Parts: sequence; C-alpha cells; structure tokens
Amino acid sequence: MFTYQLRLAFKSLRRNPVLSTLMVVAIGLGIAVSTASVTIYYIYSGNPIPDKSNVLFHVELDNWHPDRPFNRDHPERAPFQITYRDAMALMQSEIPAYQNAAFRTELMVFPDGGERRPYREVVRMCFADFFMMFDVPFQYGGGWTDTADQAPEPVIVIDSTTNQQLFGGINSVGRSIKIEDRYFTIIGVLAEWHPTPKHYDPTNNAFSEPEAMYMPLNFTPIFESTSRGNTWGWADESIDTYGDYLQSELLWIQMWVQLDDETQKQAYQDFLDAYVLEQKKRGRFDRPLNNRLLDVMTMLKELEVVPDTTKSQLVVSLLFLVVCAINLVGILLGKFLGRAPEIGVRRALGASRRSVFIQHLIECEVIGVFGGSLGLALSVMVLDAINRMLANGEQLHLDLNMVGAGLLLSLVAGLIAGIYPSWRICKVAPAVHLKMQ
Amino acid sequence: MGLKMVMEFGPIFRALLNNRTRFWLILIEVALTFAIVVNCTSIFLDKRQSFNSPTGMDIANILVITTEPFGDDFENEDYVEDVGASDLRRLRSHPAIINATPILHFPLSGSGSSTGRKAAGSELDAVSVGYFWVDENGIETLGVELIDGRNFTDADIEDQNDNDIPRNVIVTKAFAEQVFPDGNAVGSQITNRDGQTPATIIGVIDHMNNSWPTSTFGDHTMLRPGINHYSHEMNYLVRAEPLAIDSLYTELEELMVSLESDRVVTVRTLSEIKQGYFRRTLMAMKIWAVVIVLMIFITSLGIIGLTSFSVTQRTREIGTRRALGATRLAILRFFLLENWLITGIGLALGTLLTIALNFALAEYAEAPKIDPMLFAGGAVALWTAGQIAAFIPAMRATTVSPEIATRTV
Repeated sequence: MFTYQLRLAFKSLRRNPVLSTLMVVAIGLGIAVSTASVTIYYIYSGNPIPDKSNVLFHVELDNWHPDRPFNRDHPERAPFQITYRDAMALMQSEIPAYQNAAFRTELMVFPDGGERRPYREVVRMCFADFFMMFDVPFQYGGGWTDTADQAPEPVIVIDSTTNQQLFGGINSVGRSIKIEDRYFTIIGVLAEWHPTPKHYDPTNNAFSEPEAMYMPLNFTPIFESTSRGNTWGWADESIDTYGDYLQSELLWIQMWVQLDDETQKQAYQDFLDAYVLEQKKRGRFDRPLNNRLLDVMTMLKELEVVPDTTKSQLVVSLLFLVVCAINLVGILLGKFLGRAPEIGVRRALGASRRSVFIQHLIECEVIGVFGGSLGLALSVMVLDAINRMLANGEQLHLDLNMVGAGLLLSLVAGLIAGIYPSWRICKVAPAVHLKMQ
Repeated sequence: MGLKMVMEFGPIFRALLNNRTRFWLILIEVALTFAIVVNCTSIFLDKRQSFNSPTGMDIANILVITTEPFGDDFENEDYVEDVGASDLRRLRSHPAIINATPILHFPLSGSGSSTGRKAAGSELDAVSVGYFWVDENGIETLGVELIDGRNFTDADIEDQNDNDIPRNVIVTKAFAEQVFPDGNAVGSQITNRDGQTPATIIGVIDHMNNSWPTSTFGDHTMLRPGINHYSHEMNYLVRAEPLAIDSLYTELEELMVSLESDRVVTVRTLSEIKQGYFRRTLMAMKIWAVVIVLMIFITSLGIIGLTSFSVTQRTREIGTRRALGATRLAILRFFLLENWLITGIGLALGTLLTIALNFALAEYAEAPKIDPMLFAGGAVALWTAGQIAAFIPAMRATTVSPEIATRTV
C-alpha cells in the first residue's frame, strides 16, 4: 500500500513539474538557511571536549584591584587569567591529575638552518600535561615528559600544517628546527585538531586555530618571551626589566587542572585558598578570598563566547522556515483542491477518506524530503562560503547530528504544511464533483 | 484611489471572509515576513553604519609596516635606535610619502593598549581610552585634525623616558569632552585611576578611532609622545601621496629589507587592517542581506500560489461576473485590490510582530532600535512585491471566458 501511495505521489509531482520544483525549492531554501544557522549555533555553543568537560577546571584567583572587581557587571567573578608568579607557584601542587599553565607568544623560526627567510610564528608555551589533559591528537610522536619541563629540554611539538610546510608532511620526529637562537628537537606532530570553541584559551578569539608550535613553558625566561594574547593589569608598578615583568601583577597565564573527583576538587580548592591566604600575609591579593574552579562549559558560558549575531540568526532563520512552511500550505492547498474532481471520482469508486488523506500526506513528505536534501546540499555550500569568508581556520561543517536535524526539520515542515491541505481534500464530497463532470 | 475602487472594498472584504484559509495564510505570511524583514534590515543597517562610520584618519592612503628583527645586533639598544632613525629618514625622504611615524600597535586592528584616565584630583571614575605612541609626525601621518592646542615637538619625544615629569599627551575631542565637560581640556592634567602617572593635555584632535572602533570607547584615543620598541619590533605608519599607495605597497618591503636585512618586514594597508577587524561584521551583513532577499522572494511565491488557487476556485464566479458585464480591467483590479487589502491587514499585524520580535531579540541577542522609516520602507516593499506577485495570476483571471458561466449551471 505504501509503495502504491508513494508511486501516486511521484506521479502527481511529475504532472506539474514547475509547481513541484517551486515547492521543493521553497522548502529547500528554508531548510538551507535554518540548518546552516542551527549548525553555526550548535558549533559555537558546543562542548569542545565532551568526555572531559566535567573534570577539567579553569583556575581563577581574584587578585584584581583592591577597590574594584574585575567585572563590574559580575563582581562575584575573578579575572580569567593569572599572573606568571602565581602560575609557577600553583604548578608545584601535587593534587591535580594533570595541570597546565600556558600562554601564547611569538618566536622567530629559522627554517632549514637559515636557507629560507625566517618568520615569526605563534607558539604556545605550556607544560607536558597540556597534551594529556586536552586529549590532543598526534599524527607522529607525542608530547614531552615532566623531566623535559623541568630542565627545560629543547623539545617542540608542531602542528600538521607546519610539518607540511617545513618537512613536506613526512614523519619529522627527531628532526631539529632552529627557534630564535637555539635548536629544538621535534618530539611530536599534531594530527588535525580544531577544538571549537578553543576552550584552553577562549579570551584570545575562541574561534581561532590552535597554535602552530608548542614548547616547554620554562623557556619563557630564557627567550624573555612576552604574551601575545590578552594581558590585563591594574597595579601601578614600574616594569623596567624582564624580571619585573615576570614578577608583576600582570595577568596573562591561562591555568587549567584536571580534578577527577569531588575529593580531589575539594583538596585543590583548599590548596588554592591556603596559597592565597599565605600571599595575603605578604600584602598581595587585597580582595575578598575568591578562588574559582570553573568546568569547561561553565567557563564558556560566563565568557559568552557565542556571538550575539549567531543567536539572532538562529531565531530569524527558524521563523524563515515557518514562513516557508506556510507558503507550502498555500501552494499545496491550491494544488490539491484543483484536483478535487479526480478525488471525487476516486472517492465514489470506493477510496476511503483515510487512504486519500495518507496519499496526500505522503506527497507532502516526498516534497519535504526532496526539499530537505536540496536544503542540506545548499547549507553545505553556505557553510563552506562562510568558512572561506572568515579565513580564520574555522571549521564550520555539518556533522551527522546536523544532517539528521536538517532531515527531521524537513519532515516536520512537510508534515505541518501537509496536514491541513490533505485534510481538506479528503473531505471532498464525491457527489458534487461527479455531477460537475 | 477613485470612489469606484473604494466601493469595491465591501464585496472584496465579504469574499475574503468566505475564504478564510487563504485570507489567514497570506495574512500570517505577510505579517511574519514584515517582522523579519524590518528587523533584519535594521540589524543590517546598524552593522553597515558601524563599518562605514568615519575613522578620523586618512585610511585610504595609510600603509602599515611591521618589522621583526632576528639578528644579534638587535640585542644592542643603540643599534635598534639607529635602525629606527635611519628607517624613518629613508621613509620620510621618499617622494611618494607624505610622512611617517613610528607606532607600536595599529588603529582599527583590534589589538592595542588601553587604560583609564581621569581629570587630576577628580573623584569621578576614570574613562577608558586607547592609546598609541607616536612622534611629532604622528598627526600628519594619521591625517587627523588638530582642533585645539599644539602638536608634539622634538622635546616632547626626548622626555619620554623621564618618569618624574608629567608627559604631554594629545587626546580626541570625544575623550576631552567626557573628562572635561567644561571644555578646558588643553593645559589640564589627567591621571590614572589611582591619581598616579600624571600627564598634561597639550592638544585636542577632532576624531580618531583607537584599536577597537566598535567598542564603547572606540573614539577615546590618546596619543603619547615617544617610540616604543616592543621586543625590538619596529612598526611604522606611512601616509602615501594620493594614488601612490599601490606602488608603495609593492615597493616598501624591499626598501625596508635593503636598509637592514636581518628582519621580517610585512606591509599592509590600514584598510586591510580595518577589513580584518570587521570580518565578522561584513560576513553577518552578507548573511542578513541574503535572508532579506530570500524572505521577500519566498513570500512573493506564496502570494502567487495562493492567488492562483483563488483564481482557479473562482473561475465560474469570474465567468459570471464577466457575463454580467464586468470588464477585464475590473477583474484585474478586483484581484489586485484584494491583495492590497490583505497585505495591508498583514502589515498592521506585522507591525506589532516586528516590535515583539525586536524586543525578543534585544533581550536574548542583539537588536538595535528600529528607525520608524524602516516600517514605511518595509511596507512599501511588501505592498509592491505583493502587487507584482498577484498580478501574474490576476492576468490569468482576466482571460476567463464569460461563457463558462453558462456552461455548468
């Protein structure tokens, strides 16, 4: 019966190809626009590390200006970054399963021992745990060890794009590369990795690409590296030497810990509080005690990383789909009722109301599915165009969930649009139309 | 509108009430489309305005040069200063260059320095201000207009490293008016929040955006005298003679490397920097524009469909009217007038929806206040689209033959 009705539906759609195309295009545009904006919203508001987002905590210490909160609208919040000296102190803790203090800087890279022009590259200074705690995937090799952190040993992790550019994409582990005035041994090459939003450093453009290179943070004083990300300060302190910079109250380090259970979390919270109370005795942290451990999603929500435009586009595009569906109702109504005489004959020959109703509903769903497929294809193009326009390394693309959501939306749109016209046509009284023939 | 047409409203309205489905469908569609189109246009115009608003600078003719040294010689502060001085001499002597200034961060780039400053001794909270280090050639290079006080002199630049004396600064009018509402900014002192680092305002420039033009303090800009080599990086702003920017763009990298080769030189235009800052805005504008066009297109399709349906359904009625003497023009007018009326009611409902949607978006996301003219513009657009859409099936209605009326009775 179903195949028969499906055949009827196709036959009916073929009878008026222009109108059918129009309906498919109308619903397709609605699906394209709404799937694209649902996808963007879904990616921007998504969880970049679902398996671990509940055990990874962003460490925040409130050492802002004694008289003013960091965020005037939310005085209960602390700054999103911490000072270098506090980061170094916190890294001594043995409580967390993993812990990482990091920041982004830029260093000069000399490819091929100086044959090619040197260039400046974005480098993340971090600790060995960075790769483990954030589940960073490797194409070749891996991260370094705690021992390499301490020395620090000249080891470096590069991303796959850099590996392509400098070594033609081969397994370059063990090769060396000159950074500033010394040689580093490549210990790992990253596989494709695009955490979105970029959870580990969301205040420096949450939708930018991860850094191209990673090296032990303890090279910071050796290279006298300064932060090339947000740096916040409140104190009036004179910074004349690099040593002053490292000892200053400037905030530029992102600190993360992995705490696997409540006991560990409580222990670490106690550790933080004890540290800050100790610092208070030395005249620092002249604010109420406010040490915060925020899990990934709470932190992203507080930072409001989803752009407002994305939210308005989501609302508007869903309304757009509603208009497309209403449109479809109108066209279907016209089409179905135009066929009333024929349905009258079928009813008179014994077709039940139910089968007439279902037949037409199936026709609507066929339109919905065709429109949905067209819409999904269009939204792939839309997202691709957006990726290119942003040229930011953003990776907006449909995943299976979004393809499913798009098809579901098109089925629902087809159903909603189809119910009323199908109901109207199945109520056709056979006698009237027979008389008119 | 003639009296005759007005008199036709009665029957049209009664006909509409007899055909409620079609009436409601068009009504809701028009209302929703109106609400979406007006809100989207409002957001679009707001974004366009933020992109197009003047920056105060001669951005069409400004190039930015970044140089990143890597040679060992650069460990020596004197060497760095020599290179900087020779770069500037060479740039300023170039025939196609009006002037050049050292600078650290670039205006409109989204990256820079900001601080809080207040009138010395004031109890008021400090006002946020973005600042740039420039020398006495800064004002001419930027192309900003000095409206009060004086420019920096050589002496101001020399004093930059002396922390004990108040430094001289130049600020924008917007900042000056906020901190000194009485208009006595020039000669007055400003300090940071805690009353330290005093500085004297020696000049006021008309308008200049800082590194964050769309921020709440985007026109609060302060020029500080001096040359700041951050990590020995030396960056410059160059103002080209009109029409010379393209040739300079290709020439400058080589010129800078020829002066000192142990460095990476990048040349961009200030317009490029601005485009980068507004990349998301520009993309959002494109998306909103597409949505607006698609909405009107889809709604027009809907009106064509529904009016077609109406014509088909009323073929006999049209035939009867034709048989009773109605002209083709009268039939055409009937359908157009009917569409005009439904669209009008839809627009009335749509106005309420527009305001509701505006409030909802403002609450939950972003939505500028809607300019009343947009309501008028949106109404004209939808009325026109509706009339064009209805015209197509209405023309078909005029071809209905009067004899249809006699055939099936």
